[in-house]
Amino acid sequence: MAIEKFQEWYENRHEYQRDWKERTGGKIVGYFCTYVPEEIFYAFDVLPVRILGSHQMQDVTEPHLFGMFCPFCRDVLAQGLKGKYDYLDGIMIAQSCIQLRQAYSSWEINKNPGWSHYLPMPNHVQSPRAVPFLLGEYEILIKKLEDLTGKKITDSDLQRGIEIMNNARRVMKEIYEFRKQESPPITGVESMYMACSQFFTDAREWLPVAEEVKKELQTRKLDRDPGKRLLLVGSENDEIEFIEMVETLGERESVGATVVVEEHCTTTRYFWDEVKDSASDPLTAIAERYVARVPCPTKDWPERTRLKQISQLAKDFNVDGAIVIQQKFCDPHETDIPFVRKHLEDNEIPTYFLEFDVTTAVGPFAIRVEAFLETLEAEADLF
Amino acid sequence: MSTYPTEPLKCWNKAKELREKFYEDYATAKDKGGLRWMGSAWAFDAVPRGLGKDVYTITGEPYGASCAFNRPLSAEFLKATENYGFARDLCSYMRNYWGSILVNKYAFGGEHPKPDFAWTQHICCSHGKWYQNACELEGGDVPLYVVDVGAGAYPPFEPIYEHRIKYVADQLLDGIEWLEKVTGRTFDDELFLEAVWNDVRSTSKWAEICMLNRAVPVPLDEKSIYALYVFGTLEKSNGEFADFYDELYDEVEDRVARGISAVGNEKLRWMSDTQPPWGFLNTYRYMELWGAVSIGSLYTYGLTGIWLYDDKTHDLLPRPLPPEKPGTREEGCTMLADWHLSKPQYQHFYSPKYKIEMMDAIAKNWKVDGIILHYNRGCEGLSIGIAESRLGLIDKGHKVMTYEGNMGDASEFDETATLKRIDIFLETLGLQKPVMGLHEPVVRHEETLRQ
Amino acid sequence: MIVSGIDCGAKNTKTVIMNNGEVIGKGSVLTGFDQQEAVHGSLDIALKSAGLAQGDIEKFAGTGSGMKSVDVADCMVNDIKAMAKAANYFYPKCRTVTDVGAEEGRAVKIDENGAVVDFAINEKCAAGAGAFIEAMCRALELSIEEIGPLALTSDKTIPMNAQCAIFAESEVVGLIHAKTEVKDISKSIHDAMASRIVSMIRRLGVNEDVAMLGGVGKNPGFVEAMRRELKLEHIFIPDEPEFGPALGAAIVASEEA
Repeated sequence: MAIEKFQEWYENRHEYQRDWKERTGGKIVGYFCTYVPEEIFYAFDVLPVRILGSHQMQDVTEPHLFGMFCPFCRDVLAQGLKGKYDYLDGIMIAQSCIQLRQAYSSWEINKNPGWSHYLPMPNHVQSPRAVPFLLGEYEILIKKLEDLTGKKITDSDLQRGIEIMNNARRVMKEIYEFRKQESPPITGVESMYMACSQFFTDAREWLPVAEEVKKELQTRKLDRDPGKRLLLVGSENDEIEFIEMVETLGERESVGATVVVEEHCTTTRYFWDEVKDSASDPLTAIAERYVARVPCPTKDWPERTRLKQISQLAKDFNVDGAIVIQQKFCDPHETDIPFVRKHLEDNEIPTYFLEFDVTTAVGPFAIRVEAFLETLEAEADLF
Repeated sequence: MSTYPTEPLKCWNKAKELREKFYEDYATAKDKGGLRWMGSAWAFDAVPRGLGKDVYTITGEPYGASCAFNRPLSAEFLKATENYGFARDLCSYMRNYWGSILVNKYAFGGEHPKPDFAWTQHICCSHGKWYQNACELEGGDVPLYVVDVGAGAYPPFEPIYEHRIKYVADQLLDGIEWLEKVTGRTFDDELFLEAVWNDVRSTSKWAEICMLNRAVPVPLDEKSIYALYVFGTLEKSNGEFADFYDELYDEVEDRVARGISAVGNEKLRWMSDTQPPWGFLNTYRYMELWGAVSIGSLYTYGLTGIWLYDDKTHDLLPRPLPPEKPGTREEGCTMLADWHLSKPQYQHFYSPKYKIEMMDAIAKNWKVDGIILHYNRGCEGLSIGIAESRLGLIDKGHKVMTYEGNMGDASEFDETATLKRIDIFLETLGLQKPVMGLHEPVVRHEETLRQ
Repeated sequence: MIVSGIDCGAKNTKTVIMNNGEVIGKGSVLTGFDQQEAVHGSLDIALKSAGLAQGDIEKFAGTGSGMKSVDVADCMVNDIKAMAKAANYFYPKCRTVTDVGAEEGRAVKIDENGAVVDFAINEKCAAGAGAFIEAMCRALELSIEEIGPLALTSDKTIPMNAQCAIFAESEVVGLIHAKTEVKDISKSIHDAMASRIVSMIRRLGVNEDVAMLGGVGKNPGFVEAMRRELKLEHIFIPDEPEFGPALGAAIVASEEA
């Protein structure tokens, strides 16, 4: 089945990327935050690949990164320090949180990645001044990419880049529609593999597989009881092990669950919004997309607009409950969490809070999630 | 045993009075029909000054530090914040501040004064969120405006780009319109431009004062500096504060001329980084017993002062005053944007390499023998890249010690363990432990409160 | 010249007596609640083993977390310096030395004279202290003497969350319930702790030769995990490594005479 390809790509990201380089002779740039404008990279025919951690313990980041910064950014830096990404032609970050930018700068200082770029992605996305500022920054990025590739791009190249990314986003949203069904034909684990595999691979090679999966899902039936429908709210969370545990609880316990949607930057915050109206000025359209997209909490002020997205997703996907995942030491989310929980509760979505680290404490978490699911069951029994 | 003559600062009491009046003015602002606003120490405080002569502020970071200095009160605030559901590893200034609202206590006595609006800027992840949440906790009816200053590093670290200055300046112009709307007052450009120039001259003067600390012996020790740099964090655009810095400069210049020392037995000069653990400033006095005096830091010099790093001479020097005062609102906003974006404490947000150069420049030009880095769990913003700073400074030949602590949460600072590390470090630097039998020469926190 | 170093640690108090650079007596007792009593108890055993009386000792040095209780001390030596001196005594070529006490993990970079060049002490919330192994012993119902050798019989690598000792303990409980073999859990625990200590050592740079002092040096599971993490052929450990700091203090006493 085509859907299995997603997992294969997720687990073999380095092999794929190295092979891509050999096959195409092209350049690959690793990026650290979803605010990086991949459209511009595709316009230059440079492959942008997101760098995530490996969920393994490590001891190489301690000299470089103060332990109080989140485990995710340390895990990401470890990938660089351990040489897993030595085949990259460069690295890039668009600023959002302080934690991840240290992974970028330590990587830059200690690994000499060749080409590197720090984009000061504006934080005041709710201001009309953000787009003109971002355009100025895009001009700088474009010049740097011209140095990397020896090429110059046109509006038509940018349109091409926009189409590549919009197609990928659109297909993912269409596949997510299947998760609205009473018995979703795609699990949370599989959806995670899908989203991650997209940013680990060339979107042009990924797309046909995704289109095939969309076809398969029309008739696919899973031999499992969907159980309770869950929303996961988090920061950066590719916690396959955790989701797998949650989705297989039903095999061992009386109540099971399916993760039907997420609000975090590994999945929906990454791909939910497309570039619009790019016909006359594609670069401005790209800037507008990144300014207007569902924001990272670091950019979500003075209004807390994320709350609307969270409750909308909860409603559209008909969730029974939400698990609020907090990456340990993730400040941006920690400032939002009490209000996220209150908002969900005000919208009658029961929530459960869990704090995550690099490795998943599957045993203790299973007990907690099970207990939460049982409370949902008990509430359902009341009516 | 004193090697050098010492004298207390003549302007010490005046400084204390100025601070106390400032806190009281905020609390009593409404009694006189005035306005009050809350925001960051880095907020462009010159702008609200255009709303009138009766506009008062409390800035969050010094307020958080004042809370932390009072350990039992701080514990109460932090507990309230934790009970509300906020994680303990969040910025400890912010947690003290929110706690002050939740418990409804003003750190300087009485109830927590509710502001009319919030006006701040955003550089670290927490800044905008701090006041977003504070406004919610205040009841949800306090309007908020945030100016994003995350617009890239300043020369010589990165080239100057017009769109970056414009981004900040335009937000300020929009902010002025916003202020008129939420307060119902007409903006007075004359008051504003006067405030802009006060901001520029007070921060310039502070840098000049810190330059005087190159002298041996050092005329100002860092612990005393904390009581003086604070004016630049309370309100840079305050005319009285700017005048006070002029006075202070004259006094410190005189001290240097006469060889007056901050610490009579100065044997070793060290430099710190990030905020100190505010509830434990006795550690400075402890080190002075050894003859080790902190000359300051990029933090105390650069938080209030505006400097430029000279990459040709490898020096950190006060940024020259602009050649002309601003004449129009647009010029005022542009000047503020440019001036503030050059802040030394903003540069490391983009790369630790920039901070390493500046710290090394201070260490070399201020004749520093050792560096102590406070791995401050309470402040992500100023701890960015601190581990790389450590490696970079060791590479440049410095002796560096680190300790973990928290500027605003006493439960995260282990006084005994830290004093032990300090002992080890000062010994490796060649100093001898002051002999006082077998008992530690303890300087209690309460004694330092009396100062 | 006859000197003595007394290391009043969180768990044990150890005494070493030296004469002209040779160790002639040793003693160790549990510290317990009365540190002064432990100091004298340990000293008495050492004196007996050396066939000396207290008055024969020309200079005393105290070290360890309870060094203030070494009332006989003529001088106090901090742990870091004591470690450095001891490592230099045993292995003159040593440039990095590590020690994991009950409550603290330490690493020191030294020069050819045993002088301290740089040091690191484990920060809060680190499963990098001896108390971690002891807590794990309780969870696995093994003695401290059993848990180390057992780890050597495993060849599995099960990652463990070593950021927080409390989290790690609940992970162990989870592994037990998942019917993981005790030997594999034991190895996992030692790997986790070694990872924390090596992380700390890396801050100083791994400078060969590397020596290990303290009671953990007698735990073969931990030593092997350290060797593997550091990617070294060999870690230098003296016989009775738990007496290292006391010996280092004694050396300082003789130098300050």
